[in-house]
Amino acid sequence: MSDVTPIAAATTEESTQVVAEIVRETVRPGWRTRLAEQPALVLAGVLVVLYAVTVWKDDSLLTVNGVRSILLLACPLAVFAASQTLCMLTGGVDLSVAMTANFAAYVAANQSGRGPWIALAMALGVGVGVGAVNGLAVGVFKVNPLIMTIGMASVLLGVVTVGLRGWLAGSTDVLDVVRTVGSGTLIGPLPTNLLVWTGISLVLVLGLRSSGLGRVIYAVGDNQIACRLAGVRVWQVLLAVYVLSGLLAAIGGLLFSGTTGSVGVDQTNSYLLPSVAATVIGGTSILGGTGGYTGTILGALILTVLNRLLLRLEVSEAFRQILYGLIVLALAWSYVRLTGQKVREGGG
Amino acid sequence: MTTVEPTVPGSYDGFATSLPTPTSRWSRLARRQGWTAGVAALLAVLLVWRVSQLPKFGAFEIRTITAGTMTLALLAMAQGVIVISGGIDLSVGSMMVFGNCLSALWMPDRGLAGCLLVAVAVIAITAALATLIGAIITASGVPDIIVTLAASFVLAGMALWVLDAPRSGVSADFQRLVAGRLDNPWPSVLWIGGVLLVLWLPLRRSRLGLAIYALGSDRKAAFLSGVQIAWTRVLAYTAGGVFSGCAGVALTASTGGGGPLASTGTTATLNSVAAVVLGGVALTGGIGGLVGPVLAALCLTLIPAIMLGLGWDPSNAETARGVIIILVVAVAGLLQLRRTRPS
Repeated sequence: MSDVTPIAAATTEESTQVVAEIVRETVRPGWRTRLAEQPALVLAGVLVVLYAVTVWKDDSLLTVNGVRSILLLACPLAVFAASQTLCMLTGGVDLSVAMTANFAAYVAANQSGRGPWIALAMALGVGVGVGAVNGLAVGVFKVNPLIMTIGMASVLLGVVTVGLRGWLAGSTDVLDVVRTVGSGTLIGPLPTNLLVWTGISLVLVLGLRSSGLGRVIYAVGDNQIACRLAGVRVWQVLLAVYVLSGLLAAIGGLLFSGTTGSVGVDQTNSYLLPSVAATVIGGTSILGGTGGYTGTILGALILTVLNRLLLRLEVSEAFRQILYGLIVLALAWSYVRLTGQKVREGGG
Repeated sequence: MTTVEPTVPGSYDGFATSLPTPTSRWSRLARRQGWTAGVAALLAVLLVWRVSQLPKFGAFEIRTITAGTMTLALLAMAQGVIVISGGIDLSVGSMMVFGNCLSALWMPDRGLAGCLLVAVAVIAITAALATLIGAIITASGVPDIIVTLAASFVLAGMALWVLDAPRSGVSADFQRLVAGRLDNPWPSVLWIGGVLLVLWLPLRRSRLGLAIYALGSDRKAAFLSGVQIAWTRVLAYTAGGVFSGCAGVALTASTGGGGPLASTGTTATLNSVAAVVLGGVALTGGIGGLVGPVLAALCLTLIPAIMLGLGWDPSNAETARGVIIILVVAVAGLLQLRRTRPS
């Protein structure tokens, strides 16, 4: 409270008044402070408004099937965004999620002859393997995460494209399990993939809030040097984060291939940038240390509903992309304004 | 060790602080140009390798390489300026595609002079758009990655808006002037070199160039030394927009038309980052130049050609590119770690 020091010489009565004023201000924060402390509420509000606007253009969203389709489509996006959330909390980013997902889905379909469990294990193994390489490079060799994962995406694209004419050639039957989970209906408007999504959400939200690893992830994102000095093995945390990210990417890829019933070299690539956008809209800072998965869930839902609205607006594909970009920018901008997590200019 | 590169002689007049003991001219040269020389050596090796694969190596073969690299080289310059200023731009590829579509919309049925006018107009428009992106980054305080990511959506949409289907029919004279005849490599070489000499060299030597390097190497120090941080940052993006616009026009000239394919933009952005990193520009900003990225762009074009010559699947080039990017950044990181740690 250095603000108080200049008037320290004044009379006791005056300083008491000043202190009382400060206390009053802290006790009754303005609406902005209150909103900034509850970003999830703001996001939920945005989602509700957006949903209402979309219903006005497309009343099928009020039906059981409409709700189901939103949840079904939001699920893979939210899972990819879970990868991004973990990485961004440590100040990184994972641009290899889409290729990891494609690769994992391809492996699962290609190895489906060996039985579902082995095929699934191999697909998840792909995710863990890719994540481990990313994690070691970022954690131990200090490679910039953006470059590391761009490079990894390039490597995977080469491996899958070449593999298609070699060891990955042959049958590509999407596993029955994957198909059921990816496109089935649980009950009413709830698709089966919601089970996986709920599981992941619970683990991430609770894990980030109260597990040791979760707290250390925030700490590493906030100040890596302080973490190292405090005895945290930063490289192990980063390794764990990127392995989890790879694993989540593989799960997302399987869910997507279950929904579409197909596999392809680049089938989830259009999810890559939206997954980053969903995380940013959800309030996780790309600079690390702030945010969480709750916001990301809402971010993924907002983007899915937004996509639906733009599809219904009967504008050309061109305007849809322009609007999408502008809205993502506007949401990110207002978020930064609201919460004050602004990148500081200069020494200011 | 000073981190600001003293490119302008005499700019340190009036400094009262004690300067570190001067290093020898050779060690300075090695430190400053070592990486570029390394990339040049790598390029030479790749070139010899490629030459040895071909039964005949003449003007046609050279033109294939240089005209094929022109777009990537210009785009690498765009990314390079921005990375040197301490930022990153994930929208350069989409900006290039937008420039490509805009010129393919206006150029057909026009003579050489008309095409050149259109080229200048397109470059002016991309520069203006890039300035706007830079201004939004500076004004909003949203991280540059996010703003340029959103901008890449918008630009891809704008490309689709100006040109909803691939279009060709650009004047053959214009194509020959920029990309050269099939057996004439000179125009493409001269354009790449020309942009470096006419745009980059004066920029680097100017006050603004120095400010861009200062901003990239230490934002706080630059601010405290009176560099107009916000302006410099925006102008670095403007320079990037000029280079992206050049890349778009070059793409129009080398393909004879344009197409609004968003994936072209994404791939080009990734390639530009690869070329910048391989070209010795530090991602932290403030280190490197634009000659390195241009040479690196040539290397990146040669690798798939060599693989094809070896009878390998050219898709392996994707893998090779990824591995090269990762190794380069890892090695550069280790070198820097060794340099900053007192031994």
